[in-house]
Amino acid sequence: MKLNQYIQPATLVLALMLTVTSTALAGGPWPQPKGGYYLKLSEWWVVFDEHFTDSGETDPNVTTGIYNTFLYGEYGVTDRATVLFNGALFSRNVMNNLRSSTTNEVIAKGEGLNSIGDIDVGLKYGLTKPGAALPVSASIILGLPTGATAGGELGNLQTGDGEFNQMIQIDAGQGFKVGKSPAYASAYTGFNNRTNGFSEEFRYGAEVGIGLVDQKLWLNTKLNVIESLKNGDTAATTNSTNIFANNTEFKSVAFEANYFVTKNVGISASYATVFYGEIIAAAPSYNVGVFVNMR
Amino acid sequence: MKKITQLVLMTLLLGATLSSCIGDDFLDDFREPEIRITTMLDTLEINTSFQMEQLYFNNVGAEEMIQATWRSSDETIATIDNDGLVTAHEKGETTISVHYESDDFMVSDSTSIIVDGFTAVEEFASTSGEVKTTSSYKLRGDFTFSEKTDGSGIELSLAENYCTSDRLPGLYIYLSNNRNSIANAFEIGEVKIFEGAHTYDIEGVNFNEYSFIVYFCKPFNVKVGDGEL
Repeated sequence: MKLNQYIQPATLVLALMLTVTSTALAGGPWPQPKGGYYLKLSEWWVVFDEHFTDSGETDPNVTTGIYNTFLYGEYGVTDRATVLFNGALFSRNVMNNLRSSTTNEVIAKGEGLNSIGDIDVGLKYGLTKPGAALPVSASIILGLPTGATAGGELGNLQTGDGEFNQMIQIDAGQGFKVGKSPAYASAYTGFNNRTNGFSEEFRYGAEVGIGLVDQKLWLNTKLNVIESLKNGDTAATTNSTNIFANNTEFKSVAFEANYFVTKNVGISASYATVFYGEIIAAAPSYNVGVFVNMR
Repeated sequence: MKKITQLVLMTLLLGATLSSCIGDDFLDDFREPEIRITTMLDTLEINTSFQMEQLYFNNVGAEEMIQATWRSSDETIATIDNDGLVTAHEKGETTISVHYESDDFMVSDSTSIIVDGFTAVEEFASTSGEVKTTSSYKLRGDFTFSEKTDGSGIELSLAENYCTSDRLPGLYIYLSNNRNSIANAFEIGEVKIFEGAHTYDIEGVNFNEYSFIVYFCKPFNVKVGDGEL
């Protein structure tokens, strides 16, 4: 458990989307070359019957599912400037029926909400020249509140957090060799300025990856951390149901595999799990997709 | 191009397949059935009658209408008919009990009454206890649950040591006969005060009608804590 996400789906989705695109292919400190692009269509989902509470422990909740069909894209406007797009083209948030184990009667009817989700647009700029030994880039990402914030009879379903946020991010990384295989390591830090009573967030993370099988297979693992400044509204200060999505924190680890089916087209799969969290789902999330890489 | 189209279609199909169902979760809401005498008759005047009342709660704490059996332990002092009408005969003390029996179980409750030269009903009943968390969300505090002196209902007062989490969306307080469920509960209202002393005025509820105070996150049906009345 928004529990739900608590449990709030929207922040959860946007945050964990950090985990679904390999820096080897997109993202990270490496802008696309001029005219180059990367597109990924993927399905991301999490189903959870427990959530991390505000004390960092886990409590049960009605089983909740969040399913998103994402389109992620990057396009190199110049060799140093890349525009970014990350949108949930279709988002579904569902909660199970809650039945009495004694009488089998429905205590709380399950519901579902379908809509477009929130969309991020952004610009990444290479602070170092292409080919630099230690590439560094800066990004600004704007989160557009295009999702639904309160669906269902109790307003407890959402596909967006209802706030316009602005995030600045610095990425740095380096490529190297492991034996004969190309590999890389990157890290980022960012600050997410949120509106509408939401707490600001400090974000950071790191990723390592390696290309295998003649660079057809790329494996990576990444760490993502969001720390809330907890300076937003609470139930004591607002009646907004959007506090569902507030003060979320987590530390997650993700594992991803990308496989090139053709020279430019591939499939990907990832698994991410939160090992510490507050007000966020306590269950792994999954992502599978297809990408086109025209770098 | 055909391969790309197939991959895209597979991704979309996977999404449609995954997101189609709403399943069932089950709440352990069993509790032992209970019958409860709700009339707080203390003393009954000789040669007068008084209507006793009872409530029956089934195995999930829902109130049900039943045909109960009333008894008096000493019928020389007072008798009671099957509708709960007690009649006083001579001075003394007797125990009035109510019984309900089904194929699976039998439940009962009893109370003592004194027969004397006047009638007295207990007024302004009051009880106290503690609400505490049953989750990892903070909730604690002493409470007093009492009939209002003007007879207009119930007053639930949380003491100065009360505090609860303000991070939950839609935290509500209820009166219930099932500490695990709010399915048949009386909703007092949304929690607006998260620490310190405060009072709820509750109308339309009798003192003996509920057994528990429960705190639930209403939108997600997550129990936060409870207190026994």
